[in-house]
Amino acid sequence: MKGSFSVPGDYIYFKSQVPLHKIPIGSKQWRYYDFGPKHVPPLICLPGIAGTADVYYKQIMSLSNKGYRVISVDIPRVWNHHEWIQAFEKFLDAIDVHHIHLYGTSLGGFLAQLFAQHRPRRVRSLVLSNTFLETSNFSAAMPWAPIVGWTPAFLLKRYVLTGIRDGPHEPFIADSLDFVVAQVETLSKDDLASRLSLTVDSASVGPLRLSDSLITIMDTNDFCAIPQQLKDQVTERYPGARQANLKNGGDFPFLSRPDEVNLHLQLHLRRVGVEAQPDLVQGFRQDGAGGSSSDQNDEREDERRDYTGTRNENEPPLALESPCVGNFENQILSNVDLSSDQ
Amino acid sequence: MPSRRRALLKVIILGDSGVGKTSLMNQYVNKKFSNQYKATIGADFLTKEVHFEDRLFTLQIWDTAGQERFQSLGVAFYRGADCCVLVYDVNVMKSFDNLNNWREEFLIQASPTDPENFPFVVIGNKTDVDGGNSRVVSEKKARAWCASKGNIPYFETSAKEGTNVEEAFQIIAKNALKNGEEEEIYLPDTIDVGSSSQQRSTGCEC
Ligand SMILES: Nc1nc2c(ncn2[C@@H]2O[C@H](COP(=O)(O)OP(=O)(O)O)[C@@H](O)[C@H]2O)c(=O)[nH]1
Ligand SMILES: [Mg+2]
Repeated sequence: MKGSFSVPGDYIYFKSQVPLHKIPIGSKQWRYYDFGPKHVPPLICLPGIAGTADVYYKQIMSLSNKGYRVISVDIPRVWNHHEWIQAFEKFLDAIDVHHIHLYGTSLGGFLAQLFAQHRPRRVRSLVLSNTFLETSNFSAAMPWAPIVGWTPAFLLKRYVLTGIRDGPHEPFIADSLDFVVAQVETLSKDDLASRLSLTVDSASVGPLRLSDSLITIMDTNDFCAIPQQLKDQVTERYPGARQANLKNGGDFPFLSRPDEVNLHLQLHLRRVGVEAQPDLVQGFRQDGAGGSSSDQNDEREDERRDYTGTRNENEPPLALESPCVGNFENQILSNVDLSSDQ
Repeated sequence: MPSRRRALLKVIILGDSGVGKTSLMNQYVNKKFSNQYKATIGADFLTKEVHFEDRLFTLQIWDTAGQERFQSLGVAFYRGADCCVLVYDVNVMKSFDNLNNWREEFLIQASPTDPENFPFVVIGNKTDVDGGNSRVVSEKKARAWCASKGNIPYFETSAKEGTNVEEAFQIIAKNALKNGEEEEIYLPDTIDVGSSSQQRSTGCEC
């Protein structure tokens, strides 16, 4: 199944450090990561149709290391937008989180807006990336939606990847695509069918109570599967939003341009008043070795260990490297060097 | 394709702390000036729509805090820059002397493909102070330096009074645009991964 895809080293490291949670809430199974200081209001990442909680691993590693709490989820198996709003609310209650900041890409951005519309008191800010306001385009393009439950998995997999531009790509975009394709392989037929149903379930985002000044739009300016005119509608809907576009990065800039995305996310969080707690950084140990951090006690021990670490007192809030992360962040920085696309 | 995406041009402003980088950006984008000194934290940016030759562009202007070491900002900040603005204060010699360091650091960090021809613009700011009487860097000296670095366009401004700010940014936008267009022609080395991944995605059971 994995074919020639080789798992990135930083992802292996991530998996060794950050526990994956799987819990049933109500009738839904939730699969998510939750990392960083628990009393900081979290940034919750909502993936697109071809994503899982794992696609944001680079954000989780980098931002949690800066003292932010980052949660990323798999879209649970819900079949329409009401169900999404209810399920997500139950999820937040279950993990005891009240006020949230949402970072949604593609379908995730749409779901983030819907949640902000229907649960305005919970959503403090939005980062919207390559997303849309309504599903009519997608339902028109998928007349076979009513039989989605009968469609073989391989067709569904192919379908969730439509619109994603086929090669040739520069290496970092190619790698991001490989990563996402490998994630799609892990999805079950029902996962896929429910996401496709969500995409075509007739719905549109109504007016938000959230002020535009609490919204950042982070589109990629080169290409992506969401048609430009749908992305433009988002920009027009929130004229006072911050435009934090990236020159390029394709469909999955959180994987292909992680340092830029992370910088914009930090700028957004700072602007909307989320205070990072760098003192409480949950440990990524310098050597990357040692036991699992999935155990609560272990984690606390890590925290203590890192307090005394090499953290620079005067580190500016947006410093992109930190001595604590050791190899991991070095890898990012070297990636960055290579990926400069000139 | 009904709507065409709008070109994004990235501009980076560098220079010593206090020379007026943030003020210039605010004057240009918001037409506002404040006498209050508020240190820029880390990095931040503003965007502005610009018309040029009947086309619309988005300028993304990045501002830094001068007191910080460059490295701490990371490469993300510099990546894909289309123009770099070097600012000094005409009343402070040291800020002028440091222009060379800022230029070099930019070239190291951003590593543009063609460093010789990468567009810089130099701005001597705060010409209004004391009616020009406290000035220590002459225009001649500044222009000589710009000429020696491959004819960098030079402007003297007052962010406070708004003098010459618009003019400077017009040239900044123009040169950024020229750079951005050259960049688009360039095609990166390609690896045909897309098609193989597509195959992979279809040939599976579950
Ligand atoms: N008189 C005068 N003061 C200026 C001018 N530009 C900036 N300032 C002042 O110089 C100080 C530093 O400006 P700032 O923009 O924060 O500098 P930065 O550190 O380079 O961003 C502030 O108090 C500004 O009000 C100018 O053109 N004339
Ligand atoms: Mg400043």
